[in-house]
Amino acid sequence: MVKIFIDDKPVKVKEGMTILSAAEQEGIPIPHLCFHPAFASEGSCRMCLVEIEGLPKLELACSTQVREGMKIWTQSERVTEARRGVLEFLLAEHPLDCPICDKAGECKLQDYYEEYGHFESQFREFKEKRDKKVKIGESLILDRERCILCTRCVRFLREITKTQELGMFNRGLRSEISLYDGELINNNYSGNLAEICPVGAITDADFRFKIRSWFLNKGHSICPLCSRGCNISIEYHPGFPRIPRKKRVYRVISRENPEVNGHWICDLGRYEYSYLDENRLENLLLNNNGKEVRLDWERALQLMVPRIKKLYHLKKTSRIALILHSWLTNEELFLISKIFKDDLKLEKIFVVDPPQGEGDGFLLTSERCPNRRGAQEIGFDFKAADLEEIANKTDILIIFGHNLLDHFSLGEIKAALDRIETKLLFTSRGNGLSSLVDVVLPTALIAEKGGSLTNVEGKVQSFLPALEPVGESRPEWQVLVNLAKKLKVSFSYYRPFTSPAAIFQELEKEIPFFKQKND
Amino acid sequence: MEEKVLTKNFELKNYYKIDVYLKEKGYEAVRKAFEKMKPEQILEEVKKANLRGRGGAGFPAGVKWGFVPQEVPKPKYLCVNADEGEPGTFKDRYIMSHNPHLLIEGIIITSFCVGIHKAFIYIRGEYEAVAQRLEQAIFEAYEKGFLGKNILNTGFDLDVFVHRGAGSYICGEETALLESLEGKRGHPRLKPPFPASIGLFQCPTVINNVETLSNIPVIILKGAKWFCKKGLPKDGGTRVFGVSGMVKKPGIYELPVGTSLRDIIFKHAGGMKAGKKLKAVIPGGMSAPILRADEIDIKMDFDTLVNANSMLGSAAIIVIDEDTPIIDVLKAVAKFYSHESCGQCTPCRIGTSWINKIVKRLVERKGEKADIDSIQRLANNILGKTLCPLGDAAAMPISSITEKFRGELESYIAG
Repeated sequence: MVKIFIDDKPVKVKEGMTILSAAEQEGIPIPHLCFHPAFASEGSCRMCLVEIEGLPKLELACSTQVREGMKIWTQSERVTEARRGVLEFLLAEHPLDCPICDKAGECKLQDYYEEYGHFESQFREFKEKRDKKVKIGESLILDRERCILCTRCVRFLREITKTQELGMFNRGLRSEISLYDGELINNNYSGNLAEICPVGAITDADFRFKIRSWFLNKGHSICPLCSRGCNISIEYHPGFPRIPRKKRVYRVISRENPEVNGHWICDLGRYEYSYLDENRLENLLLNNNGKEVRLDWERALQLMVPRIKKLYHLKKTSRIALILHSWLTNEELFLISKIFKDDLKLEKIFVVDPPQGEGDGFLLTSERCPNRRGAQEIGFDFKAADLEEIANKTDILIIFGHNLLDHFSLGEIKAALDRIETKLLFTSRGNGLSSLVDVVLPTALIAEKGGSLTNVEGKVQSFLPALEPVGESRPEWQVLVNLAKKLKVSFSYYRPFTSPAAIFQELEKEIPFFKQKND
Repeated sequence: MEEKVLTKNFELKNYYKIDVYLKEKGYEAVRKAFEKMKPEQILEEVKKANLRGRGGAGFPAGVKWGFVPQEVPKPKYLCVNADEGEPGTFKDRYIMSHNPHLLIEGIIITSFCVGIHKAFIYIRGEYEAVAQRLEQAIFEAYEKGFLGKNILNTGFDLDVFVHRGAGSYICGEETALLESLEGKRGHPRLKPPFPASIGLFQCPTVINNVETLSNIPVIILKGAKWFCKKGLPKDGGTRVFGVSGMVKKPGIYELPVGTSLRDIIFKHAGGMKAGKKLKAVIPGGMSAPILRADEIDIKMDFDTLVNANSMLGSAAIIVIDEDTPIIDVLKAVAKFYSHESCGQCTPCRIGTSWINKIVKRLVERKGEKADIDSIQRLANNILGKTLCPLGDAAAMPISSITEKFRGELESYIAG
């Protein structure tokens, strides 16, 4: 540890740290554009210049390492003048695009001008004209007039994806970012480029012109599309009172977590968010001889509970089958294990997950569900689902999720389900199984509930709801707790489960694996 | 007549051929270094000679060599900076084409001193004929056993390669030169780390100018004391001054460090061309702040010129007469730096072109007096804030021209 002074304030920092990270640690912001914590210092934007006692020139905070006794000033007259100078240079050749630029509201140039600028433009010359809508990726558009040549994009593709599609060409003011060999950017992390671009030079076509960033609320969640468990931020419009709004989610961006996904998310997690808003099931439905009747949760439980209890008292729970999936949280899987395995002593329990995909060797795993490890640790086995075994001598079938459709044809499933008297389906969306069951119960998605998931490396991550459940849909854990209380097999055990945290406390106690420090 | 060191025997026919060179006591310095001296002694001697870098920055060569870490298990490299990009400079071209073996001797002795076995001569692409001369001389040196394996049976190996540049001024900056040599864009690197510890291919590297290295043989043969007496105690030896512009005899003049600028122009270069009066002099290559006609009674050495708010740089003296409008000088300077900026860092990339755009407007008489203030403000915003010295090299002359010749510029603008 060394002792340094930042703006006359003495601080103790780790030796070898840069001035920028030391200042950040102390909550003192130093503006910077080309620096990004994932890459080595570049030193080309010159925005982070600070004054160091004893040195004649201003030095870069992003690359200068602290030394014992160093005295640094981040607000002195020389520093503010230098910052204003760099801003003036950048804005001189920058197009006045704010009114039409997607980055407005989250643009570093805007933010820094607001903080350190406030000067009138003295540029009387003609700005350089460059291409403004260059397609560089399936979902990426490059505007060369806005580009400030920080080279974050070039360095990302060189150091992170190692695919090097972009490079800097020409010299001086003619310098520009361009694709090598005219091939579009084609890797599973291209979306991160629009995020790391500090200005609106690289923008996402998926987000282009859709909404202003300041209208979006940010909800923190975990991406459920594979078992990496990348931390994400779901940006949504909260809606207006009395004006119904179908589309909530406008984009999904990454959240930094050095232990899971670093600074990045893959394109699958970034762009495949339509499942959050499209085709959502909002009501409980009872299939009454071809007619759909709306139910409420009380009535639905009143239908389910007596039938289950009858079989339980006859000691014939072998006639109940259960199909799960690994999109359920640790808490929900634990409840299922307690209710159906321990209390009701079911034997026919199957986990049916989406089919595997190809892992990309970085973040995306081949498992395309978020909690297979959690299901494993809670004690479920993954024997293959067998329709014959499911249908044979079964009176009640409870299905979570619609993944059966990924493994069997509709005809096969119908044939099996027709042999079962009572069928219940818990699902978040409309799908082919809905017409084959008796009661369809809408469930909330990971983004709409609280709980925890265990990622492929065994890390348990807890999260809070980012969005509200739609319509009548509810998180499975709530439904399961209500079901358990109504079954009255061990009522007092489930009574304290009023929140996912309470359930997790019990889970931790019973299964030591989950006793980890989770966030 | 002062004894010449670097330009010795320039008039001698075929002096660039090794047979002629050897007849004139060539390669004696190499023999003395290998047979009579140890690397540490050579380093001491070069340090005591106060040999300042002749590329422009003037950093003491011995001190620079001393920064190379000896115990690092990485190969060490020598890069000879033959890019000669500074406008007005043409001395290295003559040294390499007329006296290439002197440079080769310097390379061999330097490599022996620091422990280098591979040297690269980075020569500007425009000097094709000179590069071929150099390659021929190197070939001859290999044949005679002065290069290659087991030089003069000492067990010391050294290979020398000639690498051509591709037309970029910035590749004369030492770290951009390394990047270019490595096959990348000529973008200067952040310093620290310095090339002496992390240089070519991340290995310790010595980078010196052609003229600097060409002085090593005479330091070995005649000693540091002689070298300092030739020039000044803190700035030893001779400089090859390149005089161009409106003088009777433009060309290169090898003279002791500390020679008066007035003498160089009026005594050695023959004075102004017929009927021309002196207006201004750029003393050290275009990056050096300009001097007015009344400021030329000045000794040409590093420290004196710094005190006069200019610099010795590459000792390229550009003589400007009264019939040359100063706006033309400003136009050439502004255009050059905006064209040569590498584009990496913000102040230089945008600032040099912004200034160039204003100057272009002034040339067309579409400007006003306030534009000169703008130019000075922009130059000030560039100075000291850039990643490499090109920004300073652009800001300093532009600042000095607009300051010292403001009156003339204002009357030009007013038309």
